[in-house]
Formats: sequence, C-alpha cells, structure tokens
Amino acid sequence: METLGYLIDGFGVALAPHNLMFALIGAFLGTLIGALPGLGPANGVAILIPLAFTLGLPPETALIMLTSVYAGAMYGGRISSILLNIPGDEPAMMTCLDGYPMAQKGKAAEALAISAIASFMGSLIATIGLILLAPLLAKFALTFGPAEYFALFVLAFATLGGITGKNPVKTILAAAIGLMIATVGIDSTGTQRYTFGVLELYEGIDFIIAIVGLFAISELLFFIESRAGGGKGPMKVNKLSLSWKEIGSIFPTTLRGGVLGFISGVLPGAGASLGSFISYTLEKKILGSKGHFGEGDPRGVAAPEAGNNGASSGALVPMLTLGVPGSGTTAVLLALLISMNITPGPMMFTQNADIVWGVIAALLVGNFLLLLLNIPLVGIFVKLLSVPPKYLLPIVTMVAFVGIYSISNSAFDLYFMVAFGVAGYILRKLEIPLVPIILGLLLGPEMEKNLGHALTLSNGDWSVLWSSGLSITLWALAIIGLVLPVVVGPILRRRMRAAQGNVD
Amino acid sequence: MKCNDRVFGLLMLVLAVAYGWGATQFPEPFGGGEAIGPETFPILLAVVLALSSLYLIVKPDPGSKWPPARTGLELLIAVVVLIAYVLLLQPLGFIITTTLAVGTLCWRMGAAPMRAYATGLIAGIVVYFLFTIGLDLSLPLGVLSVLEGS
Repeated sequence: METLGYLIDGFGVALAPHNLMFALIGAFLGTLIGALPGLGPANGVAILIPLAFTLGLPPETALIMLTSVYAGAMYGGRISSILLNIPGDEPAMMTCLDGYPMAQKGKAAEALAISAIASFMGSLIATIGLILLAPLLAKFALTFGPAEYFALFVLAFATLGGITGKNPVKTILAAAIGLMIATVGIDSTGTQRYTFGVLELYEGIDFIIAIVGLFAISELLFFIESRAGGGKGPMKVNKLSLSWKEIGSIFPTTLRGGVLGFISGVLPGAGASLGSFISYTLEKKILGSKGHFGEGDPRGVAAPEAGNNGASSGALVPMLTLGVPGSGTTAVLLALLISMNITPGPMMFTQNADIVWGVIAALLVGNFLLLLLNIPLVGIFVKLLSVPPKYLLPIVTMVAFVGIYSISNSAFDLYFMVAFGVAGYILRKLEIPLVPIILGLLLGPEMEKNLGHALTLSNGDWSVLWSSGLSITLWALAIIGLVLPVVVGPILRRRMRAAQGNVD
Repeated sequence: MKCNDRVFGLLMLVLAVAYGWGATQFPEPFGGGEAIGPETFPILLAVVLALSSLYLIVKPDPGSKWPPARTGLELLIAVVVLIAYVLLLQPLGFIITTTLAVGTLCWRMGAAPMRAYATGLIAGIVVYFLFTIGLDLSLPLGVLSVLEGS
C-alpha cells in the first residue's frame, strides 16, 4: 500500500495547474510530432529538450512535459498509417494493415477513433503494470553491485538492436563509438582525455548536441536525398459515427494487446515494433475466421495500437528502475534526466520519489488528455499532416539550432551539431544504428565508474565482473541478446514483411 | 556494393588504433597505482572497436547506394547553408540569417523561391519574438539592432 501513497503524492504533483498545462502542451506537441512526416518520437523529444531547459522548467515539470510528448508521439504515429498507408514510425507499421483498408471504405474517422481508444487502453494497462512492477524491480536493483551494473550496461547494449535487428556487430561498433565519444574530456582523476588542448572539449561533448545533430540534422539530409519534399495531398476524414457497442467489441482486443505490449516493452530487446506485431498476430489467431483481418477489421486496428502503446509505457520500466533504456526515445528521456542531475536507477525511487511518481501519475493524466485531445481534434492533426516537408523540415532544423544556441550561446556547439548531423547521415547510410551511439554517450561515464569500483574492490582482478550468480546471468542474457537476432531475426523480419505484403 | 562496410571498417580500425595508442599516452594521475587508471576503459573500448571493425572488413553487408552526384551536390549545399547559418548568426542577426537559411533550404527542397523565403522570414520573425519576448531569451539582432536604438 506504500505504492498507493506515493501514487497519490504523484497525482498531487501531476495535477498541479502548471504541470497539467505543460502536460497538455506536451500531449499536443507530441501528437503533432508523431503525425508530421519525418519527425519520429526520439527526434521530436530530442529537439524539445533544449527548449525545456531554456524555459527554465523545474525537473518534474520538464519530465512531465516530455513524457507527454513521448506518449503523444505514439498517438500521432498512427494518423498517417491509417490515412495514407505510410507508417509514421516503425511500430505503427502494423496499424496500416487494417487501418488503411478501413479508411478506403470511408471509415477513416472510425479507424482513428478506435486507434485512439486502443492507444489509451494500451497505455493505461501498461502504466498500471509500471506502477506495480517498477517499485519491485527498483528494490531488487538495490542489490546490484558495481560488477552487476557493468554487466547490465553490456546487456543493454547487446539487446538494443532488438530481436528484429540486422547486424549485431554494427550495434557493438556503434556502442563503442558512443562510449568513446563519452570519454572525451577531463575524467574523474583529473586527466585530460582526447581534448587536444581545445578548451570547449574539457567538459566533454554535450550529449544533447550529439542527439539533436544525429537525429534532426541527419533527417533533413535524408529528406533532401529522397526528394520527398513535396508532401501529400489534402486528406479528408468523414464524420465520426461510432456506437458504444462497437467500442465494446474491441475491448477484449485492447486488453490483450496492452498486456502483450507491456511485456514486450519491459523485456530488453523486444520493443514497440515487436509489441504491436505480436498483439496483431495473436489477435488474428484468436479470432481466426470470425474476423476479417487485412480488410479493415476494427480489431486489427485496435490490437497493434494497444500493443504499441503498451510497449512504449513498458519501456519506461527498465529506464526508470535501472537507468537502462531499451529504445531510442527512452534513451532521449534518460538524457533529459541525466542533464537535470537526476541519476536514474533504483536510488531515484527513494531520493527523487516525487519526480518518479509525478511522472508516472503524469502518464495516466496524459493519457486521458490525449484521448480527449485526439477524438475531437483529429481534424487539425490531419490538416497539419499535409504540410509539405519542404517547409516543415527547414523550420524544424531552425528550431533545433535555436534550442542548442539557447543553452550555451556558443557557435562552437552549433558547428558540432552540424558535424554530428553529417556523421549521422553517413552512419545511417552504412546502416550503423544511431541509438547505441547515443546510449554509449549517456551510459559511458556510469559504465566506466562501475568498472572502476568493481576493479578497485577486487584489487584489479577482472574476474570479479563475472563472479556472482546475478552477473553471470546478465552476461548470459547479453550473449543471447546478441546471438538470438542472428538466428531468429531473419524469420521474424520475413513474417513482418509477409504480413505487410498481404495488403499491398 | 560491399566496399562501403569495408572502407568504414578500415577507417574505424585506424580510429581504434589511434584511440588506443592515445590512451597509453595519458600521464599517470597524481598518486597513481589505482586498479583502474584513466587509460583502462579507453583501451577496452579500442579493443572492442578494433575487433568489430575487423569483422566488418572480413564480412561486410551489402551496402546501400550513395546518392548520385546531383543529389550529392544538394546535400553539400544544405551542409554549407547550415555552416553559413552559424557563421552569420552573430553579425547579421537572427531574423536575417534565418530568412536566408530556412528560405534557401525550402527552396532547394523544391519550394518556389518567393514562398520559400517568405516562409523563412515569417518563421524567423515568429521565433525571434517568441523567444525574446515570450521566453525572455536573447537571440542576436545583428544589423537590425539599429532599428531598436531609435
């Protein structure tokens, strides 16, 4: 019942008027970011971080706003899936399968409303799961020593590529690059490392600059290359007519989808794409011939949306309790925490209980806001979707510039951001994933510190890293996480493609 | 198209060696003799990077195509615009540079020139006033500061 008390305190934080206002702004911006072409959730949250700083927001307000953005982006991603058959982000892929046929039948408004309700249910279930699971996991994580933490970080990198990831070696390579960038600067012993005498490098490379450069600037370059500046024509949405009976009929589906999504969000390496895939496939199996999946079955819209939103809330569990994010967007949220001098992990639940529970309560509140926002306002979001990227992306780039400039007023940082953008473009061309680089940047200092502590305790004996049962388990999981994608990945990817292909 | 990964692997191998060598050159920290020095973690990373880049050289993935020369030029223009944006931000001020930078980017991405620069101008003015008045932040006004003085 301790949890309930904390949660009530959390609601006290989340329902404070100014926090509520920022949650609303965040939810709106998030949906916008999710809906707009070329702005994924990670990208959007990254651009907004510097703005959260310049607004001088207190940590809990900034976090509440950006978690609302995060939740909103997941809502927004489905709009283009349904109306255009173009997924806004990867997890929204499965929503195309039945959403687009529904829209073609002139039931776009219903599809959008159902997906909003399913998203709401999915997030709600997963947030309840988060409330139940997070304190337990945080308590368990208190038993971790430095060696276990080191192994846990390795596990985080190993599973980051996900089961559907392509080449695990590229994930390792990217992680190493990120960790190497993190070593630049003056270390804890006062030694200058890789600063080359440049004053601006003494304090290390600000990961926010790296994140915004890698995501936002490289996105601009990608759009220029693909010449997709034209955008899409105007879209129409019919008038909504949805009965309570229809909403009731998708209820069991959203329940199953939400639970499955939550589980795949919590587990390392699964993530939102797999969450929506599994819940869609399972739903298809359960209903069998009773459904008409692939031809515009409402349950085919509800299942992946519930799964996808369940997974995105589930992904917050490892991020909050262990300080180890499992996805790009949660990595960006971690960046926000670190830059606010809050060390995520089990200690946060005791030291910054108000912030943690405020954020969790904000997730619940944000969900209600999103549902309220999404059903009546969907028309506005649809209109914004047709803003051509040729106007949008330059403006987004400019906002990113302003954000970075406003942190430090330094041109050096801006050059660095452009350099990271170019590097990001080249790396994406080479299919080197960017998220491990960012995670490396974020976790580098902690990882080195834990390695140092572990080795100091053992007087330099490296075997301490795999001497406890727990650390051996973590290492074993890390190895499985690297090997499994090579074995199972191709099969899963083929299935996902096959499921997609059925519609086209 | 397997040379992408090979070249990249080779570059990363060079980086790993240089980075690892750099780590051995750190001066011993004051009161040294700890179990782990400033060089331990970097050397570990250098080994990991070297091994994974060797793997890429030996077993490269089929790479994606690089853009044709014309698109490459467009990309180059975009990067030059971004650098020029930073370069001119202080002297010319936020509104003028934003008009030029956003306008040029919009135009190169396919918008009609007039509409492109108009977008840039409007975006610049809106963001400038949003930040300086709404958020109380200073963005450089540059040459336009003469208007302010009067």
